[in-house]
Amino acid sequence: MPSTEAVALRGINRQRSLATPAILFVVLLVIAAIRGPHLFTSDGLAGALIGASPLVLATLALTPIAIAGPAGVDLSIGPIMTLINITIVLGLTKIDLTGPVAVFACAIGLGVLLQAAMGTLIATLRISTVVVTLAVYLVVDGSNTVILPHSGGTAPAWLSNFGSASTIFSPILYVPLAAFVLWWLVSRTTFFRNIRLMGANDRTAFVSGISLIPTRIGAHVIAGVFVGIASVMYTGLIGSADPTAGAPYTLNAVTALVIGGASLGGGRAKGIGSVLGAIDIWLISYVLSTFNFGLNASYWTQFATGAVLVAALVAGAILASLSTTRPDDGKWLARWGK
Amino acid sequence: MTAIDAGRAHPNRRLSLGMAVMQYKSTVLAAVALAALIAYGAATIDGFWSLVNLRSNLVFASFLGMATIGQTLCALIGGLDISIPFVVGAANVGLVKLMNEGVPSVPGILVVLALAAAIGALSGFVSHRLRGQSLVVTLGVGNAVLGIVQILVSGSGNAGISGGTIEGQIPDWIQNFAVADKAIGVAPAVLLWAALAALIIFMLRQSWVGRSIYALGGNQSAAERVLLPNERLWILVFSLSAVMAAMTGVLLLGYTGSGYAGVGDPYLFTTIAAVLIGGTSLVGGRGGYGQSVLGVLILTVLQTILAGNDLSSAAQEAILGALIIPTIALYARSPHPRMQI
Repeated sequence: MPSTEAVALRGINRQRSLATPAILFVVLLVIAAIRGPHLFTSDGLAGALIGASPLVLATLALTPIAIAGPAGVDLSIGPIMTLINITIVLGLTKIDLTGPVAVFACAIGLGVLLQAAMGTLIATLRISTVVVTLAVYLVVDGSNTVILPHSGGTAPAWLSNFGSASTIFSPILYVPLAAFVLWWLVSRTTFFRNIRLMGANDRTAFVSGISLIPTRIGAHVIAGVFVGIASVMYTGLIGSADPTAGAPYTLNAVTALVIGGASLGGGRAKGIGSVLGAIDIWLISYVLSTFNFGLNASYWTQFATGAVLVAALVAGAILASLSTTRPDDGKWLARWGK
Repeated sequence: MTAIDAGRAHPNRRLSLGMAVMQYKSTVLAAVALAALIAYGAATIDGFWSLVNLRSNLVFASFLGMATIGQTLCALIGGLDISIPFVVGAANVGLVKLMNEGVPSVPGILVVLALAAAIGALSGFVSHRLRGQSLVVTLGVGNAVLGIVQILVSGSGNAGISGGTIEGQIPDWIQNFAVADKAIGVAPAVLLWAALAALIIFMLRQSWVGRSIYALGGNQSAAERVLLPNERLWILVFSLSAVMAAMTGVLLLGYTGSGYAGVGDPYLFTTIAAVLIGGTSLVGGRGGYGQSVLGVLILTVLQTILAGNDLSSAAQEAILGALIIPTIALYARSPHPRMQI
């Protein structure tokens, strides 16, 4: 019994590669140090923390779903973060519940609820993650604009202060740190190992006696917790409610996830890789902002992000083929898109 | 789809009507849904049958339908093309820039289509090499392409792009493509779509390439074992997808009259929705472009009905999303792992 799982997991461990995001991180950090040393001041680091943490946490939220695979891409995360953002800024303010406990509880509760619902649909109906999360993307994105046609409102004062923090020794550091500790604890549980095994090979997991439905829903519940925390940080960053500004997080987080070394085939993704991938994305836009591109800055960011994504994919594949024998093509392809 | 058709598809096994309905469950469902939507629309919306409404619906459907050709082919081989909206936008602003620089419209369009084919070929090649991770490959390629095109377009002076928009002199013949022609009754864009649809359906059902696409989507390893050129098929499919996306971008330019980089944005999710609602499975090997045409028409009629009921485009989006899960749950469920051992 342990042998099946152990062998499967060892195989996964071998193929996992953090080289691409780590090398990219170092290179970008060096360029940042030369071009924009302001980053390494207390003020600059605080700006970086609050600027990057929504994406970092969103990418961390996508990680358990990617691990649960196959093709576990959650497209709904941007609109869901927006929905929680609107709920915090408009809903909680209306009923006068604006303390940190209430905000975090509501955000995480809503994130878990939505993710659990999606997980249940995916697991019990056995339709692909891409289809369900695409549908939820459309429903939630549309509803957001119906609920709140134009941006407005103000976040609770303590939360708005996140965006203007000038020192890193404030909640903008403690909240992500707490999230990382939580991730570290969760990823060491047997339950999480079951998610990995299911993602690597659901048939093996099934014959090893793992119940697939609760395991898949569990992966989404874990994701929901991080979606909630990401939404709180996002609300702190923008300081108000906005019906559309959150949608780009979907594609950015998927990009960060893949740069971080996750395989969308399932079973292979690491929290640390996702964090590095998300920081890389933020660093790319930071480094590009130090050049004088003027109005073209956003085009350069779009081009660089896309090019880095393709390059990271190709580099990851080359690195993997150097270090291991090629995994069975057919099996992987047959599982794609299910 | 009738029993006779089904019988012809399987010469050794004559299907009863019931079995044929089961076999083509998704197509039958989509056709019934389309008929029901048209009946509902005709009954509740004033002017649903008016020529103006039908014509404008068909023009919208032809834009979406053309962009959906590529998504359908990609889905049939088990991939997804996320780069469609980016290529639509890039072709749209790129063509304006070329014409502003003095390139005549026809060679300009050919250049745009050729570049799109090259971009698609790259996506297909890399996706195949990366064992099918087309979703992220095309996401990266799409962003890179639209980013670089906007940088190039913005290059010189006031003829450049600003806020994603670029102005230029659009030749009349491109503009007339989206306008109903007096002699033929519908816009030339609709005729172009109908011709392409017929060509693609024929290609998929009757040609060697089409059958290979189904074989590849059904089982990649088996396709490799029987020496199908998997890589070349991936390249072909993704090139076609990019060319069709670029063509949509060119037609949209005629429709709107000025270049806009974000013009393709709605086509990211609506093309996938049309493919899914029509009944083509994202796993590959099942479905076809005929089904996607049904999906496109369903989406277009639905949009008319929702707009006729004064629902905002945001509410329309939400309702469209809510329809996807039940539709897929009816016919596109994966088997339980216990059945796959």
